[in-house]
Amino acid sequence: MSQYEMSYGASGSDGGGSEDNYHGRTATKVAAGAAAGYAAGYGGSRGGPPVVTFENVSKHYGRLRAVDGMSLELRAGETVALLGPNGAGKSTSLDMLLALRKPTSGRIRMFGDDPYHGVKSGRVGAMLQSGGLMPEVTVRDLVELVTKLHPNPEPVETTLKRAGITAFADQRVDRLSGGQTQRVRFALAICGKSELIVLDEPTAAMDVETRRLFWNSMKEEVAAGRTLLFATHYLEEADQAADRILVINRGRLLADGTPAEIKARAGAKRLSFRLDKVDEPFLLGLPGLVNLEVRHDVVQIQSSDSDATLYAILDAGYRPREIEVTSLGLEQAFLAITAEDDAANGHSSGETN
Amino acid sequence: MAGTLALTKAELRRLMHNKRYFIFTVAFPVILYLLIGRQVTAQAYGVAFGAYYMISMATFGAFSGALNGNAQRISQEKKEGWIRQLRLTPLPANAYVVTKILVSLATTVPAIVIVLLLGRFYGNVHLPGWEWPVIAVTVWFGSTIFAALAVAIGYRFPPDQVQPVTLIIYFIFAILGGLWFPLSGFLGHVGQFTPTYQAVKISTDVIQGVAVPAGLAVGLVAWLGIFAVLATVAVRSTAETV
Repeated sequence: MSQYEMSYGASGSDGGGSEDNYHGRTATKVAAGAAAGYAAGYGGSRGGPPVVTFENVSKHYGRLRAVDGMSLELRAGETVALLGPNGAGKSTSLDMLLALRKPTSGRIRMFGDDPYHGVKSGRVGAMLQSGGLMPEVTVRDLVELVTKLHPNPEPVETTLKRAGITAFADQRVDRLSGGQTQRVRFALAICGKSELIVLDEPTAAMDVETRRLFWNSMKEEVAAGRTLLFATHYLEEADQAADRILVINRGRLLADGTPAEIKARAGAKRLSFRLDKVDEPFLLGLPGLVNLEVRHDVVQIQSSDSDATLYAILDAGYRPREIEVTSLGLEQAFLAITAEDDAANGHSSGETN
Repeated sequence: MAGTLALTKAELRRLMHNKRYFIFTVAFPVILYLLIGRQVTAQAYGVAFGAYYMISMATFGAFSGALNGNAQRISQEKKEGWIRQLRLTPLPANAYVVTKILVSLATTVPAIVIVLLLGRFYGNVHLPGWEWPVIAVTVWFGSTIFAALAVAIGYRFPPDQVQPVTLIIYFIFAILGGLWFPLSGFLGHVGQFTPTYQAVKISTDVIQGVAVPAGLAVGLVAWLGIFAVLATVAVRSTAETV
């Protein structure tokens, strides 16, 4: 509650800027609060040591901050989506986790070890966007080869079946379609008995049907007790498959919670109504308000608690007409969180947190 | 180590299906030897031309095999992300390069064995028994060091640039090394510094029965050092872009 008032003060000080400005500053506070407050609380609710930890990890390329002070913790058995727009730092984060790149600063641990030894211990299976395959061999030969590299392998036939590639196991790797290649790469990620599976945009080259099959087989992997971390920019995928979502933008962790919580943090309901005499300062002080848009007599409020917002309006003696309350999907929540971050970044980089 | 061997085996199996490799390493030197080996009666490097040409062709086949196949493959596999994929497996980080070198050590052998047999039975090169293994190992060492150079090129250049780069190196070391014909005069002086010349000259000196100058052996080891440093730098500096 107080954070919304603070942010209103900030936006009001430049003489009551445009509606976009209100929008910009208010939600940034929510997102930052969500990241800071929530990340601390989540880990404690599950037992066991963390599978993965990022401690203030940054990766800079010259002046570009691909990843900027990221801290997070993954616990055993979680299915976690790393959600962010292109260029948010998803792939760089995963690359660092998998020892393909070194952080500029900060520390990453995997199973309590450094990433390189974590990967080499065979306790992680990974599939990245850019992973290629050895040409000139059959699918089965390739899966057999990579299986042999694992200290704790799955039977080859099991892997072929799970990845749904048995039908073309005797075809040459360099003669497969994009979707088939993707499934072979998935097979390579699950051919050892790994505790952690890391997937970077796993369904990017898949059609709708293949995508469905993929997530079905993925659920079996998770049901077996594995921890899953996947990057995606498909919100639907994060919403349906993950039990925890990390929203990142510009290399920073903006929010961390269940899909329902992420939606709530960004103001999960939209309240709209008509009101003849609009009193903007009053509206901006409403409980639960995340964002306010006023156009003539039409008021749109994005609220984290639409009931409280509405009651406060009524209690103040207003009688709005044509009241509508609609739920916002994860998509709007995500857009709100990242857009606010972008806007905040433009006007002050020191304000977040 | 088991993983490295598994990968090496898979690589060797791939190589067996590669016609290009056999044309470069075996067919070229065999055809050239059949065409020229017995036609020249003069001496070269103090030994019969048939003996010199046997050694230079064995070196030629082995060195082009070590250079051509690997550079192109490494570059292609880097571009396509296979190297990256391997880095996600429990296979140690250096295993990929180790495998490529191991495969090179093996792939240069057929060219050397076949050309030496050709020299013995077609070119009528008669040598004391102990000289054959000495020659074979010398030629093998002098040509396989190019596997390290191939690693450097493969990591450093994209596939479309590997072809011209290896071709230039291939011609320089084949011609200046006196592999196709013995050089004399200025080019001959410059050529003395190439590892290809050094491998051939050590072998012909052995056949001729004269003392092998230490400079030749030192030269070969120095080239190995240079190529190994180039390879190491190339692999390290591209570690984050693989």
